[in-house]
Amino acid sequence: MTLKELAERLGWELRTKNVPVDTDVKTGYSSDLLSDVLANSIEGDLWITRQAHLNIVAIAVMRDLSGILLANGVEPEPETIAKAAEKMVPIFQTPLPTFEVVGRLYQLGVSGKR
Amino acid sequence: MHILDIAQNALAARAPRVEVSIREDLAKDRMVIEVKDNGLGIPPEILPRVTDPFVTTRKTREVGLGLSLLRSAAERCGGSLQIQSKPGKGTEVVASFQLDHIDRPPLGDMGETMGVLISGNPEVDFCYHHEVDGQTYSLETQKMREILGTASLDHPAVLAFVRQDVREGLDRIGADRFPKIMEVLR
Repeated sequence: MTLKELAERLGWELRTKNVPVDTDVKTGYSSDLLSDVLANSIEGDLWITRQAHLNIVAIAVMRDLSGILLANGVEPEPETIAKAAEKMVPIFQTPLPTFEVVGRLYQLGVSGKR
Repeated sequence: MHILDIAQNALAARAPRVEVSIREDLAKDRMVIEVKDNGLGIPPEILPRVTDPFVTTRKTREVGLGLSLLRSAAERCGGSLQIQSKPGKGTEVVASFQLDHIDRPPLGDMGETMGVLISGNPEVDFCYHHEVDGQTYSLETQKMREILGTASLDHPAVLAFVRQDVREGLDRIGADRFPKIMEVLR
């Protein structure tokens, strides 16, 4: 399923404007420790986190992640959104906690396989 | 990040003066954060266990996390935490970090942090000093008081000045630049 379809079905808000969201998502990773994501995420992962500072965009770029989903209604800093838009990293937001979000993604066929 | 929390410990110890000092050494890849107060101090029997999350001097809540979280953050980022305290004299908390460590949380908006501290405690003397490779920024409420005369420090115009002065000052000295990983974003 594409990012766009997932966002529509699960009610996420897209926070980056003019960033393509037609990427097909097959896998995801969830962690709030940046070094962990750097070490254990794989290309194309959708990253679910509640870190909202600028550094998350750098991680997404380095690891070629398909996008970032901020759980728990976490509000991204304005500079995070601006840099993500510039680097074409889509950032979504959901009020649901991480556990709930990951469960729903899994039901829709997104796995955590490494 | 943790600075507001630690400064609030100092205020809870009824300190009339709280000093926050942050030093960044780019060559040594080090950030050192000091929070020093002249409050009640920590009883010596509690001091060795003060970063144990189940130890707190508060009666209202059983678990105190401020210092425990700061210690684990520092240790996770190649640094450490040291606490010195003398009852009746005050407490000094020193946390060090590897400046460039990917998991080091950004300091956050220090203008807001100082604004919150001053607005909630206008009678306390706050001193904030930030140094990046010899370039410095300082804010001292005692000096502001001399200029303000009878006006209180929690006046909205004063707080707005504090927030802006801190932000501009830190910007000028290049404080809390993002880790090297951010180079991929340039």
